[in-house]
Amino acid sequence: MQKHQVHNNIRKLRFNNGEMTQEQLAEKAGVTRQTIIAIEGGKYAPSLELAFKIALVFGVPLQDVFSYELEGDEK
Amino acid sequence: MSYRKISISVSLVSTLLIMGYYLLNLIPMFQQGDLISERVFRLAAIVIIASIVLNIAGNILAHIVINIVHAIQTQSEKEVRMIEDERDKLIGLKGTQVSYIVFSLGVLASMLTFVFGQPGLVMFSLIIIFSLLAEIIGNLSQFYFDSQGS
Repeated sequence: MQKHQVHNNIRKLRFNNGEMTQEQLAEKAGVTRQTIIAIEGGKYAPSLELAFKIALVFGVPLQDVFSYELEGDEK
Repeated sequence: MSYRKISISVSLVSTLLIMGYYLLNLIPMFQQGDLISERVFRLAAIVIIASIVLNIAGNILAHIVINIVHAIQTQSEKEVRMIEDERDKLIGLKGTQVSYIVFSLGVLASMLTFVFGQPGLVMFSLIIIFSLLAEIIGNLSQFYFDSQGS
């Protein structure tokens, strides 16, 4: 079976949102900066609730922030 | 440094100190063949109470120090944001699971010493040692899970 992984565009979205810092995003999403770093680096797949919260911070649909793709098939 | 990392560090340092204290007192008893139940139980009680007190006091002290350092660095009265999020809870749970496995194996090994003819006090002392060891390995595993993402 092919392996899938959760990819994200958080870095790009932060940059497009007035160069929002990881700390600012963490505060708005109600998590620690370490969690944002882990998500951004693809080391941690957030819960559905946190994923929605992050999308809400950027004001975009969930699929614009996260995608479920084949490993090594990053956009 | 996150709230959880501070908490783990405090727990790790205090458990290591207590383990050192316990072994320093227990090993001479073993070497001299001086295992008296009253002394062994008193030592165990000290270790259990000290681990609780040290953990609580250490955490309070760490919070105070961090807030003072933060206030000096940022020149503001705003408190450091110390929250525990879903990732912290997941890492905590995984660490607890590792501790539980180590402790279970330790209890099993301790019981085996009793089965093979060692006194009950040896088994009891080993259970205390393994409980401290389980805490240390659990803390270290949390650091590992943190570096891996979760």
